[in-house]
Order: sequence, then structure tokens, then C-alpha cells
Amino acid sequence: MGLIKNIKSYSEGIQISAEKREILTSFLSNGFPTTKDEEWKYTSLKKVIANEYSIENKGTIIDSSVIEKYSLGLKNKIIFSDGRLINSPSIKGVNINGFSEFESANTDSILQLNKALSKNGFTISVDKNTALENPIEILFFSTTVNGFSQYRNQISIGENSEVKFIERLQNLNNSASFVNHFTQINCAENTKVEYNKIQNNTAESQLIDTVNVYQEQDSTCNINTLIFGGSFIRNNLNFEQNGSNCESNMNGVSILNNNQLADNHTFVDHKSAHCRSNEMYKGVYLDNSKGVFNGKIMVRPDAQKIDAFQSNNNLLLSDTSSIDSKPQLEIYADDVKCSHGCTIGQLDDDALFYMRSRGIGIEEAKAVLTYAFASEAIENISVEQVKSLAKKLLAKKLNVDLDFSL
Amino acid sequence: MSEQKRQSEDKLLEKVTSSEYKYGFTTDVESDTIPKGLSEDVVRIISAKKNEPEWMLQYRLKAYNAWLEMEEPNWANINYTKPNYQEIIYYSAPKQKPVLDSLDDLDPEMKEMFDKLGISIDEQNKLANVAVDIVMDSVSVATSFKETLAEKGIIFCPISDAIQDHPELVKKYLGSVVPARDNFFSALNAAVFSDGSFCYIPKGVKCPMELSTYFRINEAGTGQFERTLLIADEGSQVSYLEGCTAPMRDENQLHAAVVELIAMDNADIKYSTVQNWYPGNAEGVGGVFNFVTKRGICHKSAKISWTQVETGSAVTWKYPSCILKGDNSIGEFFSVAVTNNRQQADTGTKMIHLGKNTKSTIIAKGISAGKSEGNYRGLVRISKGATNSRNFSQCDSLLMGNKCGSHTFPYIEVKNNSSKVEHEATTSKIGEDQIFYCNQRGIGTEAAIALIVNGYCKDVLNQLPMEFAVEAQKLLEISLEGSVG
Repeated sequence: MGLIKNIKSYSEGIQISAEKREILTSFLSNGFPTTKDEEWKYTSLKKVIANEYSIENKGTIIDSSVIEKYSLGLKNKIIFSDGRLINSPSIKGVNINGFSEFESANTDSILQLNKALSKNGFTISVDKNTALENPIEILFFSTTVNGFSQYRNQISIGENSEVKFIERLQNLNNSASFVNHFTQINCAENTKVEYNKIQNNTAESQLIDTVNVYQEQDSTCNINTLIFGGSFIRNNLNFEQNGSNCESNMNGVSILNNNQLADNHTFVDHKSAHCRSNEMYKGVYLDNSKGVFNGKIMVRPDAQKIDAFQSNNNLLLSDTSSIDSKPQLEIYADDVKCSHGCTIGQLDDDALFYMRSRGIGIEEAKAVLTYAFASEAIENISVEQVKSLAKKLLAKKLNVDLDFSL
Repeated sequence: MSEQKRQSEDKLLEKVTSSEYKYGFTTDVESDTIPKGLSEDVVRIISAKKNEPEWMLQYRLKAYNAWLEMEEPNWANINYTKPNYQEIIYYSAPKQKPVLDSLDDLDPEMKEMFDKLGISIDEQNKLANVAVDIVMDSVSVATSFKETLAEKGIIFCPISDAIQDHPELVKKYLGSVVPARDNFFSALNAAVFSDGSFCYIPKGVKCPMELSTYFRINEAGTGQFERTLLIADEGSQVSYLEGCTAPMRDENQLHAAVVELIAMDNADIKYSTVQNWYPGNAEGVGGVFNFVTKRGICHKSAKISWTQVETGSAVTWKYPSCILKGDNSIGEFFSVAVTNNRQQADTGTKMIHLGKNTKSTIIAKGISAGKSEGNYRGLVRISKGATNSRNFSQCDSLLMGNKCGSHTFPYIEVKNNSSKVEHEATTSKIGEDQIFYCNQRGIGTEAAIALIVNGYCKDVLNQLPMEFAVEAQKLLEISLEGSVG
């Protein structure tokens, strides 16, 4: 059996358009990507798709105490329960709706599947000249046992607007759920967008998350990804800069333990001149966890005066953890400054000794150093609540009772 | 940038792009060739011509059969028309193999060719203290200093001689680092290699001179399949130089060589290459396809150091690698890869850390000009047992002109937590401020670029032995002529 069979039998019983049917048929004949695909070289989906999933969501009502537990307590909350939009705030200048169909350029097979099967997600459009003071919090709750869900979301930001988002996917049971999540963000001229992803789902949960960002002239888009929970996480983050003076920033922190796997794939496509991109991914690996990083920077011909920086730093804190990193540069223009750096190492023994000789326990000393390592990326987040949550989760994950928010 | 400056820069680039290959000429030496095409019979003919023992023939046939089942790899970031393997002549040798006591016996035409290249054997013999084993169209024509080396117990001879005289060594080590089935080109090479060099340094011997081989492709439509096997026994030390220049041809020529290095405990091998095969003309017509498999294995506390200066070939596909099997072994890779006009290079290295406390260093410098594409592709793999291993990688790219591309594909795989890996890469062009600084001090733009390029490559050029460093600088100048004074 397995997921492919589940999808097959599910698809036989649903009404979808001929186009979607065609996509689905081709997906079913090709199957999920394998480690023979260059983009999936280090991450195997074999185990994930061998499980049995239930594709039809039941949709149970959840009570407010649950929401409170997982929310950051922000004023503007968009809440989904098993894909159904159950709460949306009314904000001036912002239109929030449920799922809508839209085209996506990316042809990756996971996205094809998303396109064919999606029925849930959000559509947000922000009017011109709107600067939101309060961030918008988006919560996806799932109650289905072993559910396989597709969310398809689109955000369109009007010219000269500024808005921040926080997104969180949360299972309300401990089953091995699998989410195929896709978000497309369109940034019009002179917009500022920050999108924070808190990936701290239950231990068995599995996720493939794709974000495509399209930027116009003078826009800035920051995507921050915080990975703490879940057994399998694959993030595809793609930026396309279509106008001059764009800025794309990516920050990522992964703190993994047990048998967790986190795979971060990023791609910045510099299509226009005078643009910038900054990327900083930090990974901390404990126990049997495994990390994968693949960062690609492409500078198209004639996209001159590009500054693109990428760094990927990793701490391997156990004997059985591993990391596969592949920072890539593809440059077709000469007047650019592009660099990438990648380090893999351990905590400094001298620094640990220094702290221990001053009466700080080994766990605490390690945690302080680990925090110092990860903080560079965490500090780039502008939403205070997210920052402090990240610090809390970090302390929890490292098993220490420390407050880093000094 | 001001319009005027842009124009002068364009002019400069045009000059760079239009510089022609200096070493394009062919030598008329009668050749003993077999009909083109590849089949089991051809493999048998090559083996028979070489008067090889049965085990060698079997080795070739096994490789040939493996090759038949393999597909030409296409994962590299290069575009080329795949050669028709039935259109290639797999064996050609100068008709008479001269047994030379002195250089005077050398075919005068060949001698002239060497002079044109500036090699001048006699001069090198006397002055540079270099033993030169010249390979011309697959068969060695001159071997010198053999006696001096023999005194020390060093075996340095064409591999075909080694198969006859030292079958036990060849049998033991041939294909032990690069198995015939390793990849498409290594299988092809194993099936049809006609000659190459064999070198064995006995235990504890420090080779008193630099060993070198000059490879040349001479016969039109002849693919050259070199095989180099270098064994450094326990505690020995050797520095090996390899250099290539090829005559101008309009037909694509295939070069699929295999180099195997074996460094036993505490041995030290330094392998340097200057490669200047014909890169094709400015439109990308002709040129050599350089598909080479180079790999070395390090036993305990051994060291292998690869240094390469790659300026030629239309298409390069080459990854000199180190398998750091023994504890405390060291691998190094220093590379300058220059591409111009429509050249394409996909080159880099693999460092496979298996032993404890193993160290590797990678310094790769790419220079792309004209409409060329330069790629760095590297793998650093730290396996579970390779505790306390260390890797440092640096790959920089320099772009000259806005039609060229430069790409890096580093793969880093770390499986234990006591190892440290650092990787950094940068891509940029020569800064306008740097050139301005030089101009201001009376250094012309061309000289300034030469100065900067030389400084940029210094880390790698410094690794080359003296004689080669000079030649390498010459090559850089020729490759980037117009901008490098």
C-alpha cells in the first residue's frame, strides 16, 4: 500500500477538472522523487510515503483553549481547523479569504500534486499603501489521524505596503501526519514583507513546505524559518527578483534531536540588476538527527551589481548526527559580489572549559554556546514574540532551564 | 562606469578573446595506425601489438564489456556533441620506435617540435635535472635518466614496458584505485589504453629528480588514452610533473586518461599538471575533449598533493581525487582553471576521508573570460570513522567580461562530530578600484590585470615546482593574452 495507493484510490472518488486529472495521472505514473533526483539526493521520501494516510479530512471543532495554547497571543489570527477557515480577523486594507485557485510556475512534482489535490488554504490581498502595525498570525490545526493534507496559499501585497506574518502548523494528535504546504507571495513595488515560519509540530509529523516569492522593484522580503519539531521537514524556498533594488533575506535555525531530519533548499534567482540577497542558515544536530542544506544563488546574464551572500553553519553535537551541505553559485554576470561560506564543527572545548571552571554546568555551558551560535539568525527576526518563543524552544530542546532573552 | 572606460574594457576583452592558440602545428611523422572504430577485435589488436600477456588482454576485454553497458555521463554542467566512438582511431604509434642512446637519434622533425614548445630536451637534461619521458601519440619515444633512477631502484618507464618487465607490480596495482568499471571514460581507457607512464619508488627512497612526461596528441582523429600508474612505497617521496600541449585541429579530439597514485605508509607524492590542449578557436570549433579520471589513495600518514593549471581543452571534465584511507593521511588540491572563448570546464576534486585525523586542503581558482563557462565541482566526505578530520576549502572565481559564467557546486557530507569542515567561495570581477590604484601609479591597465591575476593565482602557482611555475605563468599569459602582459 502506501501513500501512492492512498492518493490513487482517493482520486478515483473525487470530481476534479480535466487539467487536474491529467496532472494527477502523470504524478501517479512518475511517483514521488527519489534520491536519484539531484534535488533529493540526500533526502529520501521512501519511509514517508510508505505509511498509510487518510486524505479526506474530517474537520472537528476545536476549542479556544487549544488555540490559546499554540498562539502567540497576537490580535490578528487566521485559524484553520483541518483545512477549514474558522476564524479570520477583519483588518482595514486587508482581504482575507479561503482557498482560491492560482497558477504556480514551479513544475516540481510535489507542487503538481499540491495543485491537483488542494482544496484548502488562504488567499490574502493587502491593499496599496497599507502598513500594518500588528503582525498576522496564521494557525493551521489538524485533528485527523495520519492525515495527508495539501494547503495552497497566496499572498499579494499591494504597492508601498508593509506587513508581517507568523505561520504555524500544529497537529492535535501524535500521529504521523504529512502536509504538503505551498505558499506564493507576490510583492509589488516598494513593499516590505516578513514571513516567519515556526515549525515545531509533533514528533511524528512530516512536512514538505514550498514558498515561492516574486518580487518587484524596490521590494524587501524576509523569510525566517525556525525548525524545532517534526520527524521529517523539507523546505523549498524560492525567490525570484523581477525588478531592480530588491532585497531578499533568509534566516533559518534548525535545532534537531532524536531521528529528526530537516532539509532546507533555497534558491535565489537574481534576474535584475542592483539587487541583494542575504542568507544565513544555522543548524544544530543532536542524537541521530540529520541535516541537509542546499542553497543556490543564480545570477542571470546582465543582472549586474548583485550582492549575494550565503552562509551555512552547522554544529554536530553527537556522534551519530550528520550533515550534507551543498552551497551552489551559478553566476552569469561579471560585475557581482557573490560569496558563500559553509562550516561544520563542534563547540569550542576551551570555551566550555572556561565556563565550567567558573561553576557553570556542562549542559548550561553547551546551551549558552549553542544559543550564541544560533542567535545571529534569531536576532534578525523583527517580531518580538517570535524571537522570545525561539529562545524558549531552544532552551527546551537543549534541556536546560535558561532564559536567553536578556 | 563611464562609456569611454567601458569601451576600452570591451576592446581589451575583444583582444583577449581573439588571441589564438600559439602551439598549433602538426608534425609529419609516419604513423602506424589501425582502422578507426572500437570493437572487441580492436582491443585484441591493441593488446597483440603491445605483445601483452594474457591477463592484460583479459583485463582489457573485461573493461570493454563493462564499457558497452555504460552510458556517457551527462551530469556535468557542460554542453558538447558526444563523440562518435566508432569514428576514433584507437591506436597509432610512430612507425619505428627508436631506441635512443642519445638525443641526436631523435627524428629531426620531432626535435623541432619540441624546440617550438620550448622544451628542448637536451637543455632540460643538462640544466633542469629532469628525466623526461616523452609520449608522442601513445608510444614513448625518449626516455632519459633511466640509469640514474635505476641505481636508486626507481622504476620509471612506459607502462607497456612495465607490463612486460614488472608484471607483478602492474597486476597488483592497475585498476586498484580507479577500477575499470569506475566510470564511462575509465572503462574506455582500461579497454584501449595504448601507453602511458609507470613509476615505482622503492621503500624509503627519495626520488632525486622531478619526473615528468609530456603528452602530445599528434595524429588527426586519434584519441589518446593515457594510463599512468605511480606507486610510492613506504616512506618514499616523489614529485611528478605532467604537461600537455596539442597541435591545432578542427576536429574534436578525445582524451580520456586515467591516473592512479598509490601512496603507501608515510609516502609523499606530489603530482603537478600543466594542461594546454587545443581549446578550439574563438567560435568554439575544434578543440580537445579532456575527460580524465585521476585518483590517489593514501595509506597511513601518507600525503598526496595535486596541483593543476588548466588552460586548454574545449571541454574539461576532471576531478583529481584523494582517498584518505590511512590514519593521519593528508590530501591537497591546488588548481587554477582558466577558460576563454567558448571553453567549458567542469573540474574540482573529491576528498574522501576514511582514516582518523586525516586532513585535506582545497584551493581552487577559476578565471572565466570570453563566452566560456567555468565550474568548480567538489566533494568533501567525512565518513563516520574519520574522527578528528579536518578540511579547508576555498574556491574563488574571477569573471572577465559579461558573457562568461562561473559556477560552484560543492558537496559537503559530514558523518561524525569531531571533524571540522570549512568551505568558502567567492565570485567577483577585478575591482575597478584595484585597476584604478595601479593606473594611478603609472601601471597600464593590461599590466595591472596581469599583476592582479598573478596575485590571485599565487597560492596555487607557488605549489608548482620551479620549472613548471615558469611555464604555467607563460600559459596564463597566452590564455588571457591582451590583458595579461
